[in-house]
Amino acid sequence: MSRRRALDGVRVVDFSWVRAGPWATRWLGALGAEVIKIEWPENERGRLPSTTTPQGLEVNLNTSGNFNDTNVNKKSLCLNVRSAMGLKIAKRLIAISDIVIENFSSRVLQAWGLGYAELCQIKPDIVYVSMSGYGHSGRNHGYMTFGPIAQAVSGLTFISGLPDKPPAGWGWSYMDDTGGMYGAMCALIGLYHRNMTGNGQHIDQAQMISGVPLNGPALLDYTVNGRGTRRAGYPPGNRAHWPGTPLVSNHRGLTSAPHNAYRTHPGDYNDWCVIVCQNDAEWQRLVDLMGAPSWATAPRLATLGGRLQFQEELDKHIEAWSMTLGKYQLSELCQAAGVRALPLQSAEDRVEKDPQLRHREMYTPIDHPVLGSRKVQNAPFKLSRTPANNHLPSPLIGQHTRELVEGLLGYTVEELRTGFADGTFWPSNRPRLPYLDEMLK
Amino acid sequence: MTGAQTQPGPLAGLRVLELADEKGQFCGKLLGDLGADVVKIEPPGGEATRRVGPFLEDVPHQDRSLSFWHYNTSKRGVTLNLRVGDGRQLFRRLAETADVILETFPPNHLASLDLSYQALSAQNPRLIMCSLTPFGQTGPWRDYQSSDLLHMAAGGQMASCGYDEVDVAGAPPIAPGGGNAWHMGGHFGCIAIMAALVHRTVTGEGQYIDASIHDACALTTEAAIANYIYRGETLVRQTGRHHAPAPTPRTQFRSKDGSYVTALVAGRLTPKYVKDLAALFDSHRMPHDLHDPKYADPATIAASTSHIINHLVAGFIATLPAEEVYHAAQARGFTWGAVRAPEQLLEDAHLGDRGFWKQVEHPELGRSFTYPGEAAIYNGSPWRISRRAPLLGEHNVEIFCGELGLSRAELSVLAEGSAV
Repeated sequence: MSRRRALDGVRVVDFSWVRAGPWATRWLGALGAEVIKIEWPENERGRLPSTTTPQGLEVNLNTSGNFNDTNVNKKSLCLNVRSAMGLKIAKRLIAISDIVIENFSSRVLQAWGLGYAELCQIKPDIVYVSMSGYGHSGRNHGYMTFGPIAQAVSGLTFISGLPDKPPAGWGWSYMDDTGGMYGAMCALIGLYHRNMTGNGQHIDQAQMISGVPLNGPALLDYTVNGRGTRRAGYPPGNRAHWPGTPLVSNHRGLTSAPHNAYRTHPGDYNDWCVIVCQNDAEWQRLVDLMGAPSWATAPRLATLGGRLQFQEELDKHIEAWSMTLGKYQLSELCQAAGVRALPLQSAEDRVEKDPQLRHREMYTPIDHPVLGSRKVQNAPFKLSRTPANNHLPSPLIGQHTRELVEGLLGYTVEELRTGFADGTFWPSNRPRLPYLDEMLK
Repeated sequence: MTGAQTQPGPLAGLRVLELADEKGQFCGKLLGDLGADVVKIEPPGGEATRRVGPFLEDVPHQDRSLSFWHYNTSKRGVTLNLRVGDGRQLFRRLAETADVILETFPPNHLASLDLSYQALSAQNPRLIMCSLTPFGQTGPWRDYQSSDLLHMAAGGQMASCGYDEVDVAGAPPIAPGGGNAWHMGGHFGCIAIMAALVHRTVTGEGQYIDASIHDACALTTEAAIANYIYRGETLVRQTGRHHAPAPTPRTQFRSKDGSYVTALVAGRLTPKYVKDLAALFDSHRMPHDLHDPKYADPATIAASTSHIINHLVAGFIATLPAEEVYHAAQARGFTWGAVRAPEQLLEDAHLGDRGFWKQVEHPELGRSFTYPGEAAIYNGSPWRISRRAPLLGEHNVEIFCGELGLSRAELSVLAEGSAV
């Protein structure tokens, strides 16, 4: 059976590294594009440093678990783009591709002679997506970001935490994940527009700036009402409102109580569930589920105003009850009774215990030549005609150099050998990995 | 207006019907700001998201929700009651004109009204329909209730966010605010819709998309899943920085103005970095010992990590306002940033240079307001807010009469029958 994919026939030249760019192109690959990852071992960032190499394996360019998950569905062309021959090959590749994508600082591709003007000369309808920290224009275009900086500067870190405490922020590079989303979106939108009009374009996506509109309601509260977020009771932890502070929307949907995380049995580090009652009826269902104890049937808690006012007491009592149940059991009981609740889930919980993610086949194994059979993360959407799927493990560095240089670009094996000898396809002073030697036979 | 401002957006010519609450309105906004003609279809009383605060001048009203304003730019709005036959009939006619339908109803709701993808695409095979729902159309949690907080718990966000014990003893895991579960779902939903649209440009075929917000959130924790799959690690939560298998040095430091600076230092402390730090401190006349020749030795630096980070970097930041540290450090190549409250972004000169803030007119109020603009600048077809969010039922006449050809008298009869 031939499985069609949405981006069959689309070729992507992928200069991206670290996380945000590779996370973008991984999805283009899952959607069927041929993603050619151009990399160079001397200045590689994404494979190394690795904190996800399995215990018992040497940390090297081909053993990062996170790299594997972030770079499935791609081929690797090892190419020194700073050499004349390497640049020429990159240009030949771009000439037969649809998309060029990169997430370097703002002037890197220009410095290589691959700015948008040059790209257009090579391929007039190219879709060029640059994913820099601050964009290619504006006074701070040269600033450096990683996810945590983009989060801090864009206002996202500030909105996470307890009142009167330092920001808790985001415990991972949310803006690398999200920057990757925007990179993939921009590539697809540019491709759609090209298919409709015949015109390519440069799409100048900025990681930090992509975070700003995610605070839209807070920004409008300021620009329209003049109310900022530096105020008592903000951010309100996991609550919609912090008791004892002025009652105001804190930009997390309907202001309601209970709206919090509660410890569950047996009380270990990740034994928590969250419970939210958005109206009086949902609260009454929770009261009934808890067995209608006298504290809960008190009339002052029957109304939203009362529950917000007496939230401390409310949360203390709910937690005394939630501590008697495991987090999955509690969530199932609540949901069966029509009460909004779900367990807090660690990564292990998601991979091993979450029945929904299992049903949706979110983690399925794929064979990697060094890491072995490993579960990788699948798409959160099911396209009925053209399903997205992980069809290739992440490439070993340079794994597809011959296939691409000889097979796709039409160079001879002799030219390939020369390129290996002169530092075009592998640094001449660096020991060649066995599969690269094998490739030259 | 200049040429660039009047150019059509990249999705010009596309018609999207949006039947979406908080779960899908952001995805619809993305498509609308990118140039699609997004028609928001609301029940006659208005979509529930019109009741989410804050409100203009704190006066609650269906047309004054700032949250609704933000998430529904560049859309037109009609009301339609799908529970009555005439309403469904009008919807079918609209669906024949649509490229994309985006809906967030509980699974099977549209099918129960005989408005499934199968039924609608029979009349319009090019139709793409995306159901963007909390858990997708299948599975044991399919019919569970959700909320932003619930998704952040089950999706893994909360397991990664929180505090060092020294900052907040016994702190709970923290769900960042702002409704980001809906953003995570919306981003993936937009990707899926765009992929289907690209496919359609080649084959002419529409298709159905079953997208899950829970799945999207579960994918949005960077390396947490890899840490587990490859190393079996459980991660600890730390103040203002990455989760980690074991505690790592601080990266968030209090500034003189009571704000904070994120300074990524640990793991980067090479002799060159130390020299650069010395130059930064010197430029602000802060005393330090980093000119000591011993810091040419990486082993000495490694042994002095705590001194450098917790005394020198923390001490430096404590003497200056956060913005000053941010720009002074970035000017010298440090990957540091000020932790800003959202409203501080209005003063960001770089965003000003990029024309990021947009004045959006609210003609019925005789005023315009400043909105956040685009994540990316498209040089061939702009990403641009084209209009403010629709008032409730604002385009009923324009669309039902002007485009579907109903007479005003017919529309009145349909309104009497509560179809619109």
